[in-house]
Amino acid sequence: MTNVPVNRLRNFCIIAHIDHGKSTLADRLLQETGTVSSRDMQEQFLDNMDLERERGITIKLQAARMNYVASDKEKYVLNLIDTPGHVDFSYEVSRSLQACEGALLVVDASQGVEAQTLANVYLALENDLEIIPVLNKIDLPGSDPERIKDEIEAIIGLDTSNAISCSAKTGLGVNEILQAVVERIPPPKDDINEQTKALIFDSYYDPYRGVIVYFRVISGKISVKDKVLLMASKKSYELDEIGIMAPDQSKVDQLHAGEVGYLAASIKAVADARVGDTITLFNSPASEPLPGYTEAKPMVFCGLFPTDADRYPDLREALEKLQLSDAALRYEPENSSAMGFGFRCGFLGLLHMEIVQERLEREYDLDLIVTAPSVVYKVNLIDGDILMVDNPATLPDPQKRDSIEEPYVRMEIYAPHEYNGTLMGLCQDRRGEFVDMKYITTERVTLIYELPLAEVVTDFFDQMKSRTKGYASMEYHLVGYRSNELVRLDILINSEKADPLTTIVHREKAYDVGKGLVEKLKELIPRQQFKIPLQASIGSRIIASESISAMRKDVLAKCYGGDISRKKKLLQKQAKGKKRMKAMGKVDVPQEAFMAVLKLNQ
Amino acid sequence: MKSSYTRLPPRSAYLHIPFCKRRCFYCDFPVVPLGDSASGENGPGSQSIQSYLKLLLREIDLSPSGPALSTVYIGGGTPSLLSPLQIGLLLEHLRNKFGVLCGAELTMEMDPATFDKDSLEGFLNVGINRVSLGGQSFDDEMLAKIGRAHRKQHLIEACSLLNEAMKHGYLKSWSLDLIQNLPGQHLESWRQQLNQAVETCVPHLSVYDLLVEPGTVFAWREGRGELALPEERSAEEMFLLTSLTLRQAGFARYEISNYSYPGHISRHNRVYWNGSGWWGFGQGATSSPWGQRMARPRTREAYRKWLDIQDNQGPDSSLFLEKASRSNLDELILLGLRCREGVDLKNLAFHIGWDEMECKKYLPSLEQRWEVALEQGWLKKTGQRYQLTDPYGMNLSNQVLVEMMIWWDSLPPDVVDSPKFEELQCTFAD
Repeated sequence: MTNVPVNRLRNFCIIAHIDHGKSTLADRLLQETGTVSSRDMQEQFLDNMDLERERGITIKLQAARMNYVASDKEKYVLNLIDTPGHVDFSYEVSRSLQACEGALLVVDASQGVEAQTLANVYLALENDLEIIPVLNKIDLPGSDPERIKDEIEAIIGLDTSNAISCSAKTGLGVNEILQAVVERIPPPKDDINEQTKALIFDSYYDPYRGVIVYFRVISGKISVKDKVLLMASKKSYELDEIGIMAPDQSKVDQLHAGEVGYLAASIKAVADARVGDTITLFNSPASEPLPGYTEAKPMVFCGLFPTDADRYPDLREALEKLQLSDAALRYEPENSSAMGFGFRCGFLGLLHMEIVQERLEREYDLDLIVTAPSVVYKVNLIDGDILMVDNPATLPDPQKRDSIEEPYVRMEIYAPHEYNGTLMGLCQDRRGEFVDMKYITTERVTLIYELPLAEVVTDFFDQMKSRTKGYASMEYHLVGYRSNELVRLDILINSEKADPLTTIVHREKAYDVGKGLVEKLKELIPRQQFKIPLQASIGSRIIASESISAMRKDVLAKCYGGDISRKKKLLQKQAKGKKRMKAMGKVDVPQEAFMAVLKLNQ
Repeated sequence: MKSSYTRLPPRSAYLHIPFCKRRCFYCDFPVVPLGDSASGENGPGSQSIQSYLKLLLREIDLSPSGPALSTVYIGGGTPSLLSPLQIGLLLEHLRNKFGVLCGAELTMEMDPATFDKDSLEGFLNVGINRVSLGGQSFDDEMLAKIGRAHRKQHLIEACSLLNEAMKHGYLKSWSLDLIQNLPGQHLESWRQQLNQAVETCVPHLSVYDLLVEPGTVFAWREGRGELALPEERSAEEMFLLTSLTLRQAGFARYEISNYSYPGHISRHNRVYWNGSGWWGFGQGATSSPWGQRMARPRTREAYRKWLDIQDNQGPDSSLFLEKASRSNLDELILLGLRCREGVDLKNLAFHIGWDEMECKKYLPSLEQRWEVALEQGWLKKTGQRYQLTDPYGMNLSNQVLVEMMIWWDSLPPDVVDSPKFEELQCTFAD
């Protein structure tokens, strides 16, 4: 169905916490509307990156166009715009919300509202979206829709009298949801005759066609013959094709206000067509871009080094290729005497970092050493200059510094109230400052703290989950920089400084961290043929030391005719292990050791 | 320059006798436990033994032929469960197939408490002239703990029988096996074991480290956390002590786990380490006459079926010079470095068919990888010859070998492919 009148269009997204069944519900909607036949149904159709399916999370956005005949016998076109479900990608979420008029708020009827959901609901409310509460998984024995409705009313202040109960798994209530989308979500504004403006809400890199841009036409129309201008990147392109996602891409000639579609225009890198940018016509450009565009800023940095130095060019090529599809990824060459050549990379958050690392290892077959994540410090120098430092090893010497500032976040943690004590303990440990505590229901509490980001990007999330048996959820945003008593803690392995293990820590924690680090390294670095001293130092002062004793026996004590093959296999295994280690000076250091600082609490 | 490659035919044969009284707790060999009163000709288990011997003789008869043998090794299992007549029959079939050189070394593995003066004489009469005695320990408690059927007293008796036979010139040499790093062992108790071994006047010792292999009683105990192996430090000290103690007693460590008095080196075992070929016969036995190793099935039934196939289609291709693939340089280095004399890299490379150019291109990167080992004194270089030092180098040999494996992996695929027969000029020297 093409040329749909604007009043028959509905654009909506689904807001849900991880595991609350968003992807399953999306699948079910596609099936119910006949967009995807049951036969072609792969579980979680919209999550089409392997990694996403494995982790059960949505990283890249997807969209699908569905045809639906409502109870008024009229045909409607429903565009479902999927949103990523992780805090690292909140900017993408806000853009995709801007492309919609309504949202399904999916809450697990046995679990309740989680922090992530809440953050996104507030974003949706800010964008003036119509919100339809949906209680999912009501087929489960533990579900309690009434309690959850109360919770939604209490926490978000949404009227839940017309909330829909459903089971995405069994299909119960799915038609009711579609009907509600038509009835309760308003159609887009009919601005077909205005200046052309379209919002990019996602893009990905296709090796054959260049960047594929997903957009929502906000006003005016775009035809395949048009030459378009991207207002933020100031680049213009002749279009190769435009089309709709049904859910596979199918070409059309024109899209008008309210419609959602894709375009291909031989765009070389996603950085040229960033999420949030405004598409307009080259010949009659809009006077103003759509509001809200910002460039994604990396918050977390780490070093990436190939274990095998010869593969540095491969790593560079892989990063170049990844950046074509990941506009938020930053990298620049880094080299240290200890690690050889590698890159300093910037990420939106820890998950983003893990994803990139995994894609590099999986899709490009690289063995990597990843150093512990760091944040960006603001260093005020004595001479009045300000230096931004994202690599602890490059922090200037104390005599050159006046002060160091570090980024702080406002952290909101939602959890059942019995975990208050342990969560407050965790936040105190991590230099948190208590802001507020609110009972949202009689059982559930929000804790609000301000914390240094550096303390969050280590194992904060894991600790929070393990201390609350997985019941707590969190959400944070940056609130600015604060000056603190910070020092650079160096690690020396075999009397050589190991740059990748350098950290910036609070002076009061330096001794504990230093001691913990050398102890952890002693566990993680295998014994070698000579004694290896391990030291932690601040400047030239050694604050903790350990040593790894020399290995004096590593031998296959018996080897005759029948055993040769087996003994050879043992040696091959040992060789493989050694190859995965990084030689620092004369010492072979295994990958895990570079993350030692994250493992201090285990 | 193509090497003028001479492939000498094997002069050695290994025969596997899979029977034992019991399966020891550390053992993962293809053995058949027959009970403590088992014996070859008419005791319990004798039928099983006899039917196995038929298969074994059939395999020998089926084998391609070759020049007269210089070493024969009857291993197991516990070959001394067989009667002298049965051992004689096996040797006779080998004589018929290959011939046996005068002065050949004919070794047989024997366990304490499985033979007496008469049966020993019987074995010597049919031609056995070297014995490898599975003593393992002089400590009764330890012997019980590792599942052995004999006790200290049996071992001491066996040693004096063997010494007696050697004194009279019937036996040319004998060897004693010891296991170190057993659960509960410590430096002091190990010192006592070594001293007792030296006091037996045995001219050859094989000292093995306990390896916990999957599927053994020990592996099962380890899985349940019930196997208290010596601490790493303690194991290292014991290992060092072995080398030092035995050196002081006049033994030479001619291979990582083998020690001998002058003139008592095991000729058969050297075949495995210097890259020579050997025939192999019996269930679970490995053969490598021309450089391609082939392991026979480990169970009786599978072995029987395998033999039927050999019968119908002719012997396995690995047994023929023209069809067998070659052992490669990495293996030759791995095995060669185990021995005191070490390896001559260039010589070995020529041996597998590299030319001068290939040697120049690829060997230096290995030598570079070995620099740390040279610096640390584990490896010593004389001309082109590399040797592991005793004790430190031999005790850390894996570190040297792992560098070699990484080097081998880094070579281009066409270099590490097994050398092809056609590319080598072979002369069959008979």
